[in-house]
Amino acid sequence: MKPVLLLIALLLAAALPAGAAGPLLYQGEQTLWQDTVWDGEVTIDGILTVAPGVTLEIRPGTTVRFTPYDSNGDGIGEHELFCQGTLRALGSLDRPVRFTSAAPAPRRGDWGALNMMTSEAGNLLEHCIIEHAYRGFHAHFAQATLRDCLLRDNVRGAQFQESRVVIERCRLVDNTNGLQFRDSEATLADSLVARNHWGVRCVYSTLVLRDCRIEENLVNGVNARESTLTVTASRITGNRRGLYLQNSHAEVVGNELSGNSEHGIFLEQGEVELRGNRIANNGRAGVRWLEATGLLRDNAIVDNGEYALINDGAGPVEARGNWWGETDPERIAAAIRDGRDRSGMGPVEAAEPLLQPLPGTTPAVTEKSP
Amino acid sequence: MRFLLCSLLLMLGGCQPLWRADAGPPREYAGAFGGALVWEGVVTMSDDVLILPGGSLTIRPGTEVRVVPAEGTQIDPEYFSSLTELLVRGRLAIEGTAAAPVRFTIVERPGVEEIAWAGITFDGAPGGTVRHAVIERAETGIRCVGSAPEIAGSELRRCRYGIIAQAGSHPRILDNRIEDGEGGVFCWRGSKPYLKGNRIAGHDEEGIFVDADSRPWLDRNTVTGNAIGLALYPRDLPFDANGIEGNAENLRLLGPDKP
Repeated sequence: MKPVLLLIALLLAAALPAGAAGPLLYQGEQTLWQDTVWDGEVTIDGILTVAPGVTLEIRPGTTVRFTPYDSNGDGIGEHELFCQGTLRALGSLDRPVRFTSAAPAPRRGDWGALNMMTSEAGNLLEHCIIEHAYRGFHAHFAQATLRDCLLRDNVRGAQFQESRVVIERCRLVDNTNGLQFRDSEATLADSLVARNHWGVRCVYSTLVLRDCRIEENLVNGVNARESTLTVTASRITGNRRGLYLQNSHAEVVGNELSGNSEHGIFLEQGEVELRGNRIANNGRAGVRWLEATGLLRDNAIVDNGEYALINDGAGPVEARGNWWGETDPERIAAAIRDGRDRSGMGPVEAAEPLLQPLPGTTPAVTEKSP
Repeated sequence: MRFLLCSLLLMLGGCQPLWRADAGPPREYAGAFGGALVWEGVVTMSDDVLILPGGSLTIRPGTEVRVVPAEGTQIDPEYFSSLTELLVRGRLAIEGTAAAPVRFTIVERPGVEEIAWAGITFDGAPGGTVRHAVIERAETGIRCVGSAPEIAGSELRRCRYGIIAQAGSHPRILDNRIEDGEGGVFCWRGSKPYLKGNRIAGHDEEGIFVDADSRPWLDRNTVTGNAIGLALYPRDLPFDANGIEGNAENLRLLGPDKP
């Protein structure tokens, strides 16, 4: 056999898992050099790479288990999938694809991640369950779509950098942190992000967030820094802070921001437009405004703990035309803290209050108390 | 970059202190620790420190913990904060005494902001003690998430939040001075802290904040010089009001039936 053919044969042999006749087992560092289909039980006891140009397809009902291995004792498992080609994990409603730990008593961080690295060719995860990883889904210079997936009990549900990611109808719940990304374009739609420390956190990114529920996250529901956001028709409730925007450009329209422990919305610098939101029953204040610009109009800002609106910056806040839960000017003024209450702070212009909430800003919802 | 650096350091150090105690100063710590760690003398937290479940950190009396603030450009926090943090999922015992407190100090450099580090977080930690510690300029001096440490005889100054108890935490907060921050003590989401004999003073906002789900025991605390002494959702919460005085507003009742 010629040396080249021998080399090819050896490479192909290396890509074949041990025990190919039964459940698949990949041990050590291996690479898939040709298109591969998984259907059934797969165990990864090492690091498996999908080579550039290669597609790994995973069929409904498949379970992929990663053995826990933590060489340096930092609590982070190192066995993982490293995809430089294309991953298509296509479960179904009845037969999801499951990525999980092989440990008898699984815990967060047992295994590394589903890594997409420089992988820009239509990665698609549908009806997948990803659990007990350090980073459930992780992408770098990649494109991916996640639909109908459940990411639970990971250290980080999903994380990406320099990537374009669409997340639709997914649940990121009970992770240490839910979703974080930077220098990326992301769409998060019809999804639930709940019971994490951080819900959604992004930096230097563009985020479209619509029709989502962001609930009961222990630090912030949504935090964006130096980013551009469109937030619509979402419920951001029961978090410590609801929506925390730092030096970002944002359009926040038609959302429910209620029952958050601190503030429904905390705006720190940046430029924002808040319209048609219901901002209610938040613990410290409905809106805390700190040196941001923009406007606050057609919102219902009612029943918040200490204040409806706090202006903690030196500049003015344009807040005409909102519903404050009442029409008595003195009571409205009492619900607003600005330069009239604290020296050095700018004024809030709250003239022309609405006499009743606009339709659509008081949905019939079950609220959580702050 | 920070993560890669940490990973490299961990690989090189095998999760041990970057400098061993017998190597003499300086002793710097960063990364995750699963064993029994003891700090004494002068030590430096050069980056985030995580005490893993099953691990422990004991800080001897008189120790100075020099905290290096994270670079302002850090954008991917390893744990909860983009600031330097001490995260405890194992056991933390800060063993300061009145005569020899444990001090957390800031390693200053140009550009370091007033809030210079994240503070200490107990996250599902079993027990733990913070005795006679001095904690300054933290985002949250001590944050308890599903945890129940004892925090006693300590001084928390100029922190944005002094102590936060959330997610069912029930720390014992005894005889501390919590002063000059944005807010003093926050009781959120089913927390049941026991606060006795604390001085909570000089905050721009609330001395103590209690949400509708929490049931702190408030006993003989001095709450003074804050914008709001006690901000309170649960109307039926018994508390000792004697020491809540000298605030711009001593008591603010919150909720839908607020006056």
